[in-house]
Amino acid sequence: MTAVTAEVRRTAVKPRSHPSSHGETRFGFAMIGLSVLFVAVFTAIPIVASLGLSFFSWDVISSPEFVGLENYRRLFTDGPVLKSFGVTLGMALAIVVLQLTVGLGLAVLVNQRRLIWVRTVFRTAFYLPLLASTAAVSIFMGYLFDYKFGVVNYYLGLLGIPNVPWLTNGFAAASTIVLIAVWQQAGFTFVLFVAALMSVPTDVLEASQIDGAGPLRTLLRIKIPLISPTILFAAVVALINAMQLFDQPYIMTKGGPGSATTTVTIAMYQKGFQNLQFGYGSAIAIVLLAAILVITGLQFLAARKLVFYQ
Amino acid sequence: MTGTRPPGGALARRTLLKAGAGGLSLAALADLAACGKDGGSSPKSLKMLYFGEQAAATQLQNRLQPQIAELDASIKFEISAINGTDWNDFLAKVLTQIAAGTPPDIISVATEGLQLMASKELAVPLDDYVTKDLDALKEYFADIHPALVESMMYQGHLWELPDSFNAGNMFYSTGLFQRAGVVPPSENWTLDDFEAAATKIAKFQGVNAFGWVVRLWGSWTSFMYANNANLLEEGKYDGGDWLWSKAYAGDAAAAGRKGGWKWGAPTANSEATVEALNYMIELTKKGLSPSPDVGGGGTLQGLFASNRIGMSIGGGFWAGGLTNAGMKNGSFDVTMFPKWKSQRHLFGAGGYAIFKSSKKKDLAWEVLKLLVKPETFDLVFPGNVTTPGRKSLVTAARYAKTGPKHWSVFYDTLTKHPDTAPIPAPPYYNALATALNQRTTEAISSGNAKAALDGLQSDLEKAAGAG
Repeated sequence: MTAVTAEVRRTAVKPRSHPSSHGETRFGFAMIGLSVLFVAVFTAIPIVASLGLSFFSWDVISSPEFVGLENYRRLFTDGPVLKSFGVTLGMALAIVVLQLTVGLGLAVLVNQRRLIWVRTVFRTAFYLPLLASTAAVSIFMGYLFDYKFGVVNYYLGLLGIPNVPWLTNGFAAASTIVLIAVWQQAGFTFVLFVAALMSVPTDVLEASQIDGAGPLRTLLRIKIPLISPTILFAAVVALINAMQLFDQPYIMTKGGPGSATTTVTIAMYQKGFQNLQFGYGSAIAIVLLAAILVITGLQFLAARKLVFYQ
Repeated sequence: MTGTRPPGGALARRTLLKAGAGGLSLAALADLAACGKDGGSSPKSLKMLYFGEQAAATQLQNRLQPQIAELDASIKFEISAINGTDWNDFLAKVLTQIAAGTPPDIISVATEGLQLMASKELAVPLDDYVTKDLDALKEYFADIHPALVESMMYQGHLWELPDSFNAGNMFYSTGLFQRAGVVPPSENWTLDDFEAAATKIAKFQGVNAFGWVVRLWGSWTSFMYANNANLLEEGKYDGGDWLWSKAYAGDAAAAGRKGGWKWGAPTANSEATVEALNYMIELTKKGLSPSPDVGGGGTLQGLFASNRIGMSIGGGFWAGGLTNAGMKNGSFDVTMFPKWKSQRHLFGAGGYAIFKSSKKKDLAWEVLKLLVKPETFDLVFPGNVTTPGRKSLVTAARYAKTGPKHWSVFYDTLTKHPDTAPIPAPPYYNALATALNQRTTEAISSGNAKAALDGLQSDLEKAAGAG
């Protein structure tokens, strides 16, 4: 054994027994422990509790009664609740498609501006709606889009356009809510896409220009493939958010007219908190969670073919 | 290494984490399961739940504390406010508090929640307390209309002492009526008179003749009552003689009163009920009424106060609401709801109950008696934000500042229209309210009252079965 080997062995062994290293390990565990505790208290335990509760019939007041899979059986034969899944899926898909399209479109436009302050101003402007309280925005939008007294119909009236039943017709109400959700959330995807577009290598863009590619071809064949991981991330986050849509329809239409905007989360709230069927409400929550997991899984499967990793 | 047993240290940590998470979950489930069994306020405080803002609740708490201190100097009176757009919201939040293990000692609940609370035995019947203190309470009962007391009974027992109510009368803008050349309506006006007035008012740009909101109290349901229809079969529980024969002996208004309203099988798609909702759809089609909002009524009062609505259904609480919204005394007035097949009105009452889990029930009873004293009413409800349940408090002096001119309509609704009845709020009120809201907006949107009410009938049958 040479002196060098012995020295290497000493240094290799030394950190394990050094007191400061133990302290560092403990500190590390403490930090991880805090995160674990946070996730456990605010995410894992509520999910486990909901899962447990979904096998009970419980009205808060009386003792819970074990009913096995009855809540799930009921869910899959409950027309209005099943309809709420359809409503949610339809609205969520519309929101995701529009949110990605608007976010990407704005990001491409802003990215073409060479002045940095122009980008900054636009980034701030498009991101601002995201910072506003959804409840406050929904109340405000409810007034704006009121059929008879709303500002929107007032100005349309000045142009000779008859009042539009923004929130009192089923399809119109769902569309209005989708547009408002997109208006508020597009800033998030916009900021992601701006950052992604800025990170596209300039040599690749220059090479495409030399090869004679126009702006549209460069966007479709160079930029979008290169930022496709960001698009995937934005799509996953947007879909997860959209599947949990609650504030806007609950505040603006209470899920109506009829059940045209009754999303799964509204149905869950109605069953659980208003009809005092907490077990059934929990079963709806668990099925929603499973649906989101499945859809997200499908997104990742599709991403294998569509997403380009450098 | 996947699938193989990790080193001992790692296993121990994971096992510990798993055990910890599992233990916490079980503890959480066990806590949930245990909810509602115990709790209540701390030994030195008496907790009351109140529908409204916390700032107002704290003010009320401070105003009542000296009187509570006279009952028990060691007790701190705590009022927790619960916000909500309507009673459906309020009850959902109350039940969440119960689930969280913090039930109150006293709760202020309106008709909407009475049968839910009583059927689940969240509160205690007040029969023994009332019987014990009947002599002291004779003055109270003599001042409270028996219809209000009966609305606080369930299965023969009295669950709350009522202190307030609101009947669905018709408020109108005196300014818009004058501009349209419409004579102020008399108390015995008819639905034809109502529509004639509405047609004249609707000619003004940006004005709707009649505004309403979707809810159980004072919505299209007022038209339903005037059409001699209801969402549920009406009946009454036996019993209640223990109270009527003693507290209301010789009072003609108490004749035929029993042990509380018994809401039977759903009748939501009966011919007369469909006719009432169809009438609302026709009002919308004729441009006499806008599509209604769901719940609350704050927006409606704001629109009324800005002279954009000519008429709306309101109770005594509208006097304070419109004044707070900036309306001057004289710019609005009230009359009876118009006569259709009958002039039957609906009403909702408010009162106080003692929670079953309270460990200070006797003290809570003393506080209940304090809360229904005449001098307490304005401490609890400053500014005419509801109608006093005590007739002696419904006076010209009370409405001198706020109006309306015909304030006597509020109590006359009970005395002149003895068929006036509480809103149909069975033990499954929450499910009923949710279904009613959805089906009403469906009817207005589709224009098909029958289809929507067939749906409501089915919803209510399910809810009644589940309840």
